[in-house]
Amino acid sequence: MTALATSVSAPPIARHMSRERRRRLMVIGLVVACVVMTVLSLMIGAVIYSPGDVIHALTGTSHNHSGVVITKFQLPRVLLCWLVGIGLAVAGGVMQGVIRNPLAAPNIIGVTHGAGLAAVVVVLAIPSAPSVLLPVVAFGGGVAAFLLVYVAAYRKGATTPARLALVGVAVGALCQAGILFFLVRYPSNVSSALTWLAGSLYGRTMTSFWEILPWVAILVPLLLRYSHRLDTLALGDDLAAGLGEPVERTRRITLLLAVALSSAVVAGAGTIGFVGLVAPHIARRLVGGRHGTYLPVAGLIGALLMLVADTIARGAVPPLEIPSGMVTSVIGAPYFLYLLAKTGKAGGQ
Amino acid sequence: MQQLPLAGGTSVNLMTRPEQARTVDESRAAPLEPASGRRTRVGAAAGVAVVSLALLVVGTVWSVAIGPTPMSIGAIFSAVLFGGQSTTAAIVHGIRLPRAVLGSLVGANSAVAGVIMQAVTANPLGAPEILGVNAGAALVAVASLTFLPQIAGVGLITLAFVGATMCGVLVLVTAGLGRGRSDPVRIALAGVTLTTLIFSVMQTMIILVDPSTSALFHWIVGGVNAATWKDISTILPWTIVGLVGSMALAGKLNLLGLGEDLARGLGARVGQIRVLGAGLVIILAGSSVAVAGPITFIGLVVPHIVRRLVGVNNYVVIPLCALVGANMLVYSDIISRYVDPPSEVPSGVVTALIGAPFFIFLARRHRTSR
Repeated sequence: MTALATSVSAPPIARHMSRERRRRLMVIGLVVACVVMTVLSLMIGAVIYSPGDVIHALTGTSHNHSGVVITKFQLPRVLLCWLVGIGLAVAGGVMQGVIRNPLAAPNIIGVTHGAGLAAVVVVLAIPSAPSVLLPVVAFGGGVAAFLLVYVAAYRKGATTPARLALVGVAVGALCQAGILFFLVRYPSNVSSALTWLAGSLYGRTMTSFWEILPWVAILVPLLLRYSHRLDTLALGDDLAAGLGEPVERTRRITLLLAVALSSAVVAGAGTIGFVGLVAPHIARRLVGGRHGTYLPVAGLIGALLMLVADTIARGAVPPLEIPSGMVTSVIGAPYFLYLLAKTGKAGGQ
Repeated sequence: MQQLPLAGGTSVNLMTRPEQARTVDESRAAPLEPASGRRTRVGAAAGVAVVSLALLVVGTVWSVAIGPTPMSIGAIFSAVLFGGQSTTAAIVHGIRLPRAVLGSLVGANSAVAGVIMQAVTANPLGAPEILGVNAGAALVAVASLTFLPQIAGVGLITLAFVGATMCGVLVLVTAGLGRGRSDPVRIALAGVTLTTLIFSVMQTMIILVDPSTSALFHWIVGGVNAATWKDISTILPWTIVGLVGSMALAGKLNLLGLGEDLARGLGARVGQIRVLGAGLVIILAGSSVAVAGPITFIGLVVPHIVRRLVGVNNYVVIPLCALVGANMLVYSDIISRYVDPPSEVPSGVVTALIGAPFFIFLARRHRTSR
């Protein structure tokens, strides 16, 4: 629990001011980085375009094929990166706060793979199903996996972060085996296999963007509305209840919303890992532990991570594509190991 | 009967009447009961041995009998015993028999690697696939096939050993084993995460070199579907070395099972046992990954089942694990052919589907130490 309650031990006012300024600068820097990365990501693909091409393409004044490539192939992916990054990061941040577990994240507690399995079943086994259904089905899978994890990890009235994470990983392994089973059982190609195994934005169109957009646009503000109550929850169950907070109810609602958010994202982008884990941690480092402040910042960091990952995935070895989920794993897994070692020192909690 | 803690027993004795005191005494005696139950159950062991041998024979015949070309039992036996030039004989010798034999060998290897790993790390979640050993071996195997395509056999296996060693050590260091106390859940978590990381790197490599679904699946899930006699001759020496070595180490592993302090008190060189055990795990797990890919959960599941049936004496547990592990993979391979005939799924998918629920059960059961 310690990592969450970042020690904000009433600094002197002068230092407080400078810290505020530093935070504001960081946030501004983050926004700039996101914008720059968006433009870079639009430029880099199998062919590298100039910033001018991008501007022409976006304003519709392009004269050559670059306009078509940028608007038809690159733009949907960049927009999806934003949605996926924001969705996963906010969901991860809420999960970490509500379960009071620094190791919690959609992919660690089984939600990602549960949602992925449900989506794979629909996509491969029932190809005639309308794709609008996909986020809904994924949500069902995500909730089911999460409930399974929570019930299985709950022993003697408590669950420790490490056990919840391990049970989550075990459930994730089961769902992953299920995904593999459906991938080999039903004829599929490498790109769809990789989408569901590692998370890839390859070949996404504006359709998938419009499918996920409502979920992110509704759920993220809804979760942000809950940020004050999440702050109250972070004080501990007894104190929160004393302050008049319906602890269990708030916890259930926010968790459900977070699971829904991450499941919808998985339906659109596959089983992308570790963004939901890393982004909230970085955000708390930068701006402190108040949910109202750090959840939006985490969203920006998530988007930035996804943009970087997807740009690397496309641009590293053209014309081949690495799934972006692999890039996020390579970035995120060492961070998880670091967190694990750190929480270990704090007395096994 | 209520289970009173031993320390409280005497004070209860002083205050209660004789008949109640007797129940207390019984409950004090109760903790000894499982201890005697932990000895080898000879009958159970013999039973498991006979049943699993019989199942293995049946499984092998079954495995040879099924496939796109149906065969009668008689035809199989004549093909195996007398050879011949018929199509049946060619299919049996070239495709189906190696598959069954390799399944047995890899299954035995994985299960025994699991037993030793669990004994050496004193961790019920210890298994080559959990602690990153399989992933390390697979990564190095893929890397060497990528960059040194002409490498095969002994060279590949040696490199797989190196990868397995590196990842195993890395996991133990990350999880803080070096600092004394080892927390099973933490080690398992570190191992699983490292496995994810390695698989990402590995899949990227596969995509860059051979973007075909079959190569991808072979190195992600593993399977004995495409076994050849060459694979068998590659793995067989290591299986023999590994199994003989494990039996030689069994007595020392029994000592280690008493707890590190007690084992030391009885004169065991704990560090030496651990290093030897780790070496055996690397030989067994590394060689099976090199020929069959990272097949999961046999090493985790089989030792638990066998110990539950026959107790904890490693002289009995190790050979039985080899038998049961062989069964698990041979039957998984059989199931893999019934899923979607005439095409099939990698046998590793079947073992994963069987083993993952068991992993959940073990993860749930284990207490996190503080």
